[in-house]
Amino acid sequence: MALLLASLLSLIFVKEVLPHASEVSIEVEGKVLYRYPLDGNRLVAVRSRYGHLVVEIRDKKVRVIDASCPNRLCEEEGWVSRGAIICIPNRISVLVGSPGKGDRTVDAITG
Amino acid sequence: MMRGCDFLHLKFMRGEGIARIFLIAVLCLLMTLLISCSRGRERVFRKSKILMDTIVTISVAAESEDKAEKAIESGFAEIDRLDRMLSFFSESSELSRINRNAGVAPVSVSPETLEVMQRALYTSAKTGGAFDVTIGPESSQWDFYKKKKPDDDVIRERLSLVDYRQIQINGIKSTIFLPKKGMLADLGGIAKGYAADRAVEEMKRRGIRAGLVAVAGDIRAFGRKPGGSGWKVGIRNPRAKGKDDEIMATMELDDMAISTSGDYERYFIVDGERYHHILDPKTGYPARGCRSVTVVARDGVNTDSFSTGVFVLGPEKGLGVLKEMGFDGVIVDSDGGIETTPGLRNRIEFQRHS
Repeated sequence: MALLLASLLSLIFVKEVLPHASEVSIEVEGKVLYRYPLDGNRLVAVRSRYGHLVVEIRDKKVRVIDASCPNRLCEEEGWVSRGAIICIPNRISVLVGSPGKGDRTVDAITG
Repeated sequence: MMRGCDFLHLKFMRGEGIARIFLIAVLCLLMTLLISCSRGRERVFRKSKILMDTIVTISVAAESEDKAEKAIESGFAEIDRLDRMLSFFSESSELSRINRNAGVAPVSVSPETLEVMQRALYTSAKTGGAFDVTIGPESSQWDFYKKKKPDDDVIRERLSLVDYRQIQINGIKSTIFLPKKGMLADLGGIAKGYAADRAVEEMKRRGIRAGLVAVAGDIRAFGRKPGGSGWKVGIRNPRAKGKDDEIMATMELDDMAISTSGDYERYFIVDGERYHHILDPKTGYPARGCRSVTVVARDGVNTDSFSTGVFVLGPEKGLGVLKEMGFDGVIVDSDGGIETTPGLRNRIEFQRHS
């Protein structure tokens, strides 16, 4: 689980541009459908052909709640301030860009 | 140009200091121009897709988004194509047909499935059976989501069905046969590495000079990034507590593949004991001895299968196999001690965590 979630430190679309600092990007079945600033609190209900979940953005962190997938690993991930939360059964991905430190210190992670 | 060269050459040979410096400076400038011109204006493009029940991320160096997109899609298509043949969970896969016909009849397979099975047997032989794709009857009994461990007598009963030496491959007829009813082949420990290799070949055919294919943690890199650096890969810390210490070490891949097997990928803890998904084919229980094993070699099909085999063998025997195969690797043993093959010592950078 952790390897799947944390191995994605970059975008899921073909652009050289990184997620802007402080941006949350939500993809459904491979397409970016929602983009929100990390600032500001909100709840986003996301639906795909396979199921649904709710993305909560609060205090510059993001988490997934109310997921309809059987294992709820995406929920167990908890709050993240950068990186990605992927719900594989639902084909929904939540990506969080972050300022500073640099998302691109490595091109990929093994393990 | 020729005359200019001759002129400089003469001055150079005569040892005139200024001319020598000038010549070197011109050469340096030319080199820089040549390098940046030949690369066009290459950038790195990256895309991810869910395939083989995991995240597949492909990065390529290309001059245009269009070229990058086409190449990346061809990589994804190849991985998807292989998944349909090799998936344990898909009823229509060739692997499932082989499993359904265990003890019944040989099954006709594609050259790719045949190749994967042959490579799997090779790794089995080289690891003395520590890697064994016929582990299916045992691995299918473990449920890491429900945190359920099979009963000891169930584990014991099924052991006789685990034996790679019984797999019958007919290279001429292109068939695979599992002779005993109940035998199950699971290619999960080798298919991702193999798929990464094939995706790379596809992209090279499309004229891509440099790229990286990551099928979850099974990674294959080729060429160097625009700018000249190698693809940088992080090795996960098997006992990471958060995002800050999640990477234990980093290294650059120079036309190599890398894979890691770990006891933290799928596991549950019961009565203080960790039960993880890498089973020892000889006992049916999770292998003890290592927390994680990372293997670096030319091909993903090897790094994937050998990382599992070496993990099961444990640090001592495992390092011996790596040495024999001429592979490199990092082993984190059950106490957290880290061993690296000599070939990696100057190439790997361990992170220091507070």
